[in-house]
Amino acid sequence: MSETGTGKTEMTARVGVYLCECGPNIAGKIDLDKVMADILSESDRYRNVELVIRRYGFLCSGPGKQYLEDEIKENGLTHLVVAACSPRDHDSTFMEVCSRTDLNPYLYRIVNIREQCSWVITDPEEATERAATYIRGSISRVLRQSSLFEKPLEINPDAVVIGGGAAGMEAALALSSDLRRVFLVEKSASLGGGCGITMPQEKAVIEDPNVDIYLETQMSSVIGFLGNFEIGLKSADGKDEEITAGAIILAIGSDYSDPQESGRISFSESDEVHILAEAERTLEAAGDLKLRDGTMPETIAVVHCVGREEQGYCSGVCCSSSLKLAAAIRRLSPETAVTSVYRDLCLPGADGENVLRMARESGVELIRTKGTSLSGMELDLEKMDGTSEKRSFDMIIPAAAIVPAADTVSLAEMLRIPLDEHGFFKEAHRMTDPAGTTTEGVFIAGTAHGPMSVMSSMRFARACAGQVLTRLVPGERIVPEVKVTEILEAYCTGCGNCLDVCVYGAIYADTDRGISVVNEAVCRGCGNCFASCPSGALRTRHFTNEQIFREVDEALR
Amino acid sequence: MTQAESILVIGAGIAGMKASLMLAGPARKVYLVERLPIIGGKTIKNEESFPNMECSTCMVAPIQQAVLQNPHIETLTYSAVESIEGSAGDFSVSVRIKARYVSLEACIGCGMCFEVCPVTLPNEWEESLIEKKAIYVPCSGSLPNVPVIDSERCLKLNGTEECNLCVESCAFEAINLEDEDRLLELKVGALILATGSETFDLSALPGLGYGALPGVYSPMEFERLFASNGPTMGEITLRGSGAVPDRVAIVHCAGREEQGYCSGICCMYSFKFVRFLKHKLPDVQVFNIHSDVCVPGKNYEDFFRSVNGGDTEMLFTSSIADVHVSGTDSGLRVAYPDGGGVTADLEVDMVILAAAIIPAPLTARLAELAGVELDDSGFIRTSLDGSGSMETSRAGIFTAGTVEGPKDIQSTVIQAESAAGQVAFLMSSMADLTERDPSGKSVKS
Repeated sequence: MSETGTGKTEMTARVGVYLCECGPNIAGKIDLDKVMADILSESDRYRNVELVIRRYGFLCSGPGKQYLEDEIKENGLTHLVVAACSPRDHDSTFMEVCSRTDLNPYLYRIVNIREQCSWVITDPEEATERAATYIRGSISRVLRQSSLFEKPLEINPDAVVIGGGAAGMEAALALSSDLRRVFLVEKSASLGGGCGITMPQEKAVIEDPNVDIYLETQMSSVIGFLGNFEIGLKSADGKDEEITAGAIILAIGSDYSDPQESGRISFSESDEVHILAEAERTLEAAGDLKLRDGTMPETIAVVHCVGREEQGYCSGVCCSSSLKLAAAIRRLSPETAVTSVYRDLCLPGADGENVLRMARESGVELIRTKGTSLSGMELDLEKMDGTSEKRSFDMIIPAAAIVPAADTVSLAEMLRIPLDEHGFFKEAHRMTDPAGTTTEGVFIAGTAHGPMSVMSSMRFARACAGQVLTRLVPGERIVPEVKVTEILEAYCTGCGNCLDVCVYGAIYADTDRGISVVNEAVCRGCGNCFASCPSGALRTRHFTNEQIFREVDEALR
Repeated sequence: MTQAESILVIGAGIAGMKASLMLAGPARKVYLVERLPIIGGKTIKNEESFPNMECSTCMVAPIQQAVLQNPHIETLTYSAVESIEGSAGDFSVSVRIKARYVSLEACIGCGMCFEVCPVTLPNEWEESLIEKKAIYVPCSGSLPNVPVIDSERCLKLNGTEECNLCVESCAFEAINLEDEDRLLELKVGALILATGSETFDLSALPGLGYGALPGVYSPMEFERLFASNGPTMGEITLRGSGAVPDRVAIVHCAGREEQGYCSGICCMYSFKFVRFLKHKLPDVQVFNIHSDVCVPGKNYEDFFRSVNGGDTEMLFTSSIADVHVSGTDSGLRVAYPDGGGVTADLEVDMVILAAAIIPAPLTARLAELAGVELDDSGFIRTSLDGSGSMETSRAGIFTAGTVEGPKDIQSTVIQAESAAGQVAFLMSSMADLTERDPSGKSVKS
């Protein structure tokens, strides 16, 4: 492994300690000469350590960085402590300086004596004392640090897209090129997904020479990490195939809720109750909506928000779909009276407003209620003015909520990614990484992420594609996190605690040897496992117990 | 690096920053142009973001830092694009970098110069709820944390007197009053327009009292009133009297009818304001006067339910257009038609208007410069082929975020990632064409 610890050897360590004056910002409050003298006076506390301790005006300036670089080289420093500002400001600056020398950047440490000292402590004496304490702690810690080395990995730029609906097809088209193959895996026998209409991308996907389409096929296994996945595919006729790719995009779509799960809605098989998506498909295919006896309904009610209460979310697209359908029915069979029953109209954007206008202009009756219940073919409408009304219709179309697809759970288990509170795939971060998951290289597109419009689904698909296009560049390598956790095999009892707490799926059980094993390419060094290990077998590089305890001991001395 | 490998991103809000970070690398240089002296956009004006009530500045600060420290991103703050010529793969753009008078390299943001400056002026970034000096950073926590001098108000720069106090106060010799605007000519292969949006001008709705009644607030004013780095350090007190409000009405859909669309996020920020109010003032009564509750998506209804009933009373009105706010001896009166169409009165001492999201005033000018189409509402038009593409009507120019239409942070980031992907695809196709048989695959977008 990449550990070449120097702290424990008998070799003499030469630790450079450089104090930045930051003009008056540090030197104006802290007596840097006193800090230097105090630390030097105790240098015999460090065995086999020589201290080089200096102060400088602005270490982050061009000349400051050059000075530091020359100092490291001329003094043959083995470790470096820079007492300056917040690591947020200049940690990377000084790591960069180290990397221009033979000193490994992980044998350096920044101490914040500005934001956490001179700027916040009013008494100069106290600030001076505190600065010395912080620096002592860091000298102690840096001596226990080890060199770490980045290990760039070759990548495979290809992508697997699971699901051949609007999102999956859009992702495939956005990614495919002569430089990148896309494997589009669809469970059913045809592309198109749950939109109920023929998607315009279908032809382009089929004709694209860089998209391999697998119909009636499902993902059966997956191992690997961003840039290097091995994916097992199983077709309906039992054929197995293994493919390799750098990224996986989950675009498996969604289902609709059962309207009857709501206590307020009950009907029987023979009632003319058809959920919205079904009605949309029939209208698209047949050009009209007939009753089972083949006659045209005289009255149709579209009921919005069915399942909103039970699912605990507004699907956000049903109002628009419901009104579009209502208007389309009016257009195609003007003799049919169509009523839309809603609680709130959720129609964001200019398109939403257009849909509402279209519905009004086509003569759709709009009724706002506080609540609606259905028994057979009769609706009980609780109106806004407090009255209620019962009305029967020839056909009732409930706008059922969008719910997670049945495969969501098994895929999440296979990929070791979490689900959210509603059972959709959970994003890495709701706002800053909404298409990513906790497993790097696995992305979510379309309604597998949550209810959304077809347009949003395609945008999510393109966002996933964007991640792949910018992170997996053909010919470039990726650099995994170096501050990862390692397992000291001799101490591991194979209890499996760490497997349970690893949110990145970076640890697996080696059942033959009865131990846990960390996949360093997947580990992000969060330290959860480290904290959960009862036998001390886990060690997170650059955050070892010894490093942390020695720093604290020294600071509290 | 050839122009085909450089990209210009206009606007350093969350969309522009995300797209820049995704695209910047050893093979691609990004120029990120921002009109303001700081980066971060509108998100950093919100102390907390719905629905997780996550600290927005904490969420955005690492992104800002990553942008500023990225060696492949050249961030040009306090700058404006003046012309865009050429075509996809070969654009020439001129950028004016306004004189800042303070060196980005030398200044460390200690703030000594503000203290000595004798000039005060309204701080627009803080919705003019507080003043700033003629040498200023818009807010505490500004990134880059380097001030700028308002040349029209600085006594020395506008010729009033020979004031040199800031220069003398600076230990870093960072202030140069001789600084001048610079023009930069850039060659880039593609552009991303990510200049954001504004909120509806509430003074256009006189019936709601904004501007005339001090107790009536715009949403951005209320965001800053709540912010712990804001004008009141996060104390919710009434403009003028300084009193703490007991009863607050939030009036939804202000400007919806005028704009002709529902912005889709105002219900959520209104409910967030309920949380803000109840968090700081547990005894406050909050009323939401609304017609439709629009909380689309998997995370928002939960949030609505968490405030509905307990923390706020939802008052239905059959017509937002007929809501009227007037002043009384003790505070404000909100009159609105209720569910039965009967006018109801509500006595409160603070009103917050949930204003629509509208195109920023500079969007039309940017569209003209870039030669891209706007939609009927004045946002930049995208996805002309219905495919979700973030390309505008002009090839090689993409867009992302609320400059394209009202949306939440999640959708903004999704668009930024989409646009970045399309730019990366375009660039690699072009690089590909130069070194490969041109009979290869054509560019898709």
